[in-house]
Amino acid sequence: MADAPMIEVTGLAKTYGESVKALNGVDLTVQPGEVVCLIGPSGSGKSTLLRSLNFLEEPTGGVVKVAGRRVGFSDKGGQARRLGGRELAAQRAEIGMVFQLFHLWPHLSALENVILGLVEVRGLSTADAARVGHELMRKVDLAHKMDAFPEHLSGGQRQRVAIARALAMNPKVMLFDEPTSALDPELVGEVLAVMEQVAAEGMTMVVATHEMGFARRVADRVVFMDQGKVVEQGTPDEIFGTPKSDRLKRFLERVVA
Amino acid sequence: MNIDFSMVIPYLPILFQAAGVTIVITLLSQGIGTVLGFFLALGRMSRFPVLRGIVWTYVLIFRGTPMLLHLFFVYYAAPAFGVTLEPFPAAIVAMSLSTTAYNCEILRAGLQSVHPGQIEAAQAVGMSWPRILRRVVIPQALRVAIVPYMTNFISHTKGSSLASVITVPELMLTAQMIYSSTYRAIEILTAAGVIYLLLTSALTVLQLWLEKRLRYDERGLSRRRRRQLLLAAGGNG
Ligand SMILES: Nc1ncnc2c1ncn2[C@@H]1O[C@H](COP(=O)(O)OP(=O)(O)OP(=O)(O)O)[C@@H](O)[C@H]1O
Ligand SMILES: [Mg+2]
Repeated sequence: MADAPMIEVTGLAKTYGESVKALNGVDLTVQPGEVVCLIGPSGSGKSTLLRSLNFLEEPTGGVVKVAGRRVGFSDKGGQARRLGGRELAAQRAEIGMVFQLFHLWPHLSALENVILGLVEVRGLSTADAARVGHELMRKVDLAHKMDAFPEHLSGGQRQRVAIARALAMNPKVMLFDEPTSALDPELVGEVLAVMEQVAAEGMTMVVATHEMGFARRVADRVVFMDQGKVVEQGTPDEIFGTPKSDRLKRFLERVVA
Repeated sequence: MNIDFSMVIPYLPILFQAAGVTIVITLLSQGIGTVLGFFLALGRMSRFPVLRGIVWTYVLIFRGTPMLLHLFFVYYAAPAFGVTLEPFPAAIVAMSLSTTAYNCEILRAGLQSVHPGQIEAAQAVGMSWPRILRRVVIPQALRVAIVPYMTNFISHTKGSSLASVITVPELMLTAQMIYSSTYRAIEILTAAGVIYLLLTSALTVLQLWLEKRLRYDERGLSRRRRRQLLLAAGGNG
């Protein structure tokens, strides 16, 4: 691909305390429009990696670049300087994130959840923001739930609102941290369907997931992590069809069984 | 001795005026104590240990000593440090210092009750910290803080009677002056008690109203919010 990569992670490390190496030298490149699924056992560092991409977690080593710009730091003058709150916020606005536990704001209606960023970050009027919000609520098939509060939505509906909230900022990248793990099985499908649609529209996506079916069907590339490292990566066919490392084979045996 | 409540009537204007002083010193000090308490609560949650330590010490001292002592201290001991205050400003200062300590802890409990994921979601959208505080954290914190906050407010209203000891002409002092010249303690104290009860009842009603307002999900969208949001869609919402 001739394009510059959308995400470029080099030597990423994150240590908690003295000894917990959540990430231990991760390299990862994601091209524009690519859908990458992160799989791996619990505690392998998938969440930590995703959260480092928008600096919710400050790495203890390595470099993260999104859309050509270093995340969390400015490299001007050769000297890395930590970004101030405002600059960091502006950077994060370009990176959408969807959480396992939704984290919708309970005091705002579904529509208000979707448009808060447009009003507070992009400076749109409520009316203009709501126009965008209506469109997004239709897109996630919740036009009938705009005035509902999160409390009164099902898990699947909440997660779809959360996806619309992230999309509202028109991000360059969308990060999903196990977006269906907290859902009842019968609600998983509706969320995956929305994600599949977003992927089909060309969004660059990084998805930590236990939904191997989704990874197989939608991912351009699957990345297997274990103990804070990328152990193996490839197309879904390669990863699920012809796994090379023992660790991946053992992992697949466990999750498929 | 026969009890005759009608003797109170000629003193009602004086008592109401004194109640006005009670209201003013209570509202002023509670207002100051709310603003200061809010910033101290933020300081107590700051990532700078020195700031946290200072606030912690402040609360330790002012929550741990009687407001009566604060009043005496500001009024009688402060002149030794070159500050002389009239009774009224001295009462405002002392009462503010005292209620600030409580409000700090009450508001902190509210702020800390907000799930960290709430803040992360706002950060992920690109909101700056002041906006996150205003639009995400405070609305949720208020819901938790409102009951203890109003409890302290009511307690502080009654505590304002202590200002009588530094000769602020509030309700308690005025009542004392009336019964010491009329020897009608029962009637006058009853009248003062009823006035205090009216004031605190007003706060209790205010609390009910605030609690209802803050029950955001049960109440549904206000008509104003709904109109703002629907207009945008050109009516097809
Ligand atoms: N705040 C923290 N403090 C200490 N250790 C942490 C913290 N967050 C994560 N860890 C540790 O870092 C490692 C990686 O955690 P991470 O959450 O990234 O894994 P994961 O792959 O997302 O797991 P899961 O599938 O369970 O979500 C784990 O060993 C975890 O215990
Ligand atoms: Mg995780």
